[in-house]
Amino acid sequence: MPSKHKVATKDELPDGSRVIAEISGQEIAVFHVDGNYHAVSNYCIHQGGPLCEGKLTGETYIDDNGWDWNYDDDEKHITCPWHGWLFDVTNGENIHNSKYKLPTYPVEVNDDDIYVVR
Amino acid sequence: MASVDNTAENNKVRTLDELDIIVDTDAHIRETVGDLLPYVDDRYGGAKWIIERTEHPERDIYSLTHSLPPSLHAERGGWSADTNTVDKKLNELDEFNIDYGIVDPGLNLVLPSVNNERIAVALTNAYNSWLLDNFLDEGNHRLKANLLVSHHKPEMSAEEIDRMADEKDIVGVAFPSTGVIPPVGHERYDPIYQAAEDNDLPVFFHGASTNTSHVFPLQRMYNQTYTEDHVIVHPFSQMWNLSSLIFQGVPERFPDLDFVFQESGVGWIPYLMWRMDDHYLEMNYELPLLGKMPSEYIHDQVYFTTQPLGHTEDNPKHLAMAIEMAGPENIMYSSDLPHSDFDPPSELFNRIRSHFDGETVKDIMGETANGLLNL
Repeated sequence: MPSKHKVATKDELPDGSRVIAEISGQEIAVFHVDGNYHAVSNYCIHQGGPLCEGKLTGETYIDDNGWDWNYDDDEKHITCPWHGWLFDVTNGENIHNSKYKLPTYPVEVNDDDIYVVR
Repeated sequence: MASVDNTAENNKVRTLDELDIIVDTDAHIRETVGDLLPYVDDRYGGAKWIIERTEHPERDIYSLTHSLPPSLHAERGGWSADTNTVDKKLNELDEFNIDYGIVDPGLNLVLPSVNNERIAVALTNAYNSWLLDNFLDEGNHRLKANLLVSHHKPEMSAEEIDRMADEKDIVGVAFPSTGVIPPVGHERYDPIYQAAEDNDLPVFFHGASTNTSHVFPLQRMYNQTYTEDHVIVHPFSQMWNLSSLIFQGVPERFPDLDFVFQESGVGWIPYLMWRMDDHYLEMNYELPLLGKMPSEYIHDQVYFTTQPLGHTEDNPKHLAMAIEMAGPENIMYSSDLPHSDFDPPSELFNRIRSHFDGETVKDIMGETANGLLNL
């Protein structure tokens, strides 16, 4: 039976920030990205690094014209500080191979409090 | 009723805790030119004068460059100075529960890129003196080290081996091996091999993805990314070096000398062994220097460190199969910490522990290194 675990208040988690909480023995990070809250496991499925301690970044890509090398600055990808694997925090997927997916958790907001449901 | 044979199961190891010893056979430190300058011998005062006044010695004494930066992705960084004390290095070992680290240079992996021979020798000696003062004399025997030699002046490297060999925690000779012309099998390096054999020290060959813009294996100009350099430079360097070593008869002439090839992973080993053996059997007329199959020399005298394991997208079991094909008795775990493509012990352990019996796993994770290096 899942229960709600409070991880922060809204004030404590402004846009672009994160909190790492321990919930029932597991480390889970909650990111505030683009006005939404996303909870993912703080354990890189590559080699076990502390994924959510890394940087939030955007993504580089080649434009449709085949030449321009752009940067999408929607910084919603968490970069593992060990080997640089990138995961989209909004869905837990490795941005290069969706086969590699982090566990994600529902987040609820009640009044000013943010909860992870687990 | 069918009986269940548990013998195989009982002979497995399941967790890292069951290992008596974990040895990192490629543990880097990050020495800076500033660290080494105070240790440059007086006889090289003129060289020191130049180096002191060089704003960017990594570029203008060494040739440390890349196609694109090496590690924007990872927070341990590529070449920045950080792990240059005993405490910092021990912290790294502790972070991953590694018992012993075999210390290899950082910046001096690109020693072959130093064009001035006197400076190359001066910096080599300075590194060894710095190592002695800052890592070995600290008295912590969890850190062992390879003494550094340069390919530039083999006789002077032999003297350096004789100078350092008796230090308690020196366990091998570090021979940076990318950009070494001629390659390491050439007879000009015999003084190094003789001194290493005389002092009972294995020779460690280690590549680097930088000092190769002018010689094989990379003419960098058309490698537009660090990846294009890095993917091939390590295995290509080591393939050329191993082939040169074997076919020029180095293990034949130095039968008591062991060799360790670092940082090129394991997947290439079976391929090269098969290929060398094939040639030996077909073209024996041009290979009188050899007395036995190349693979026999490898099994008898050559070891390989495991990092980087690479990413087996199709099936993780392939990694264990590759080790089986290479010859598990010659394979030793390495992390390559603090470099950004490091492998923690669990990365190797988890992919071999069900494929091999417990003793083989223990050997790969540390017992083989212990036996080879008398830790």
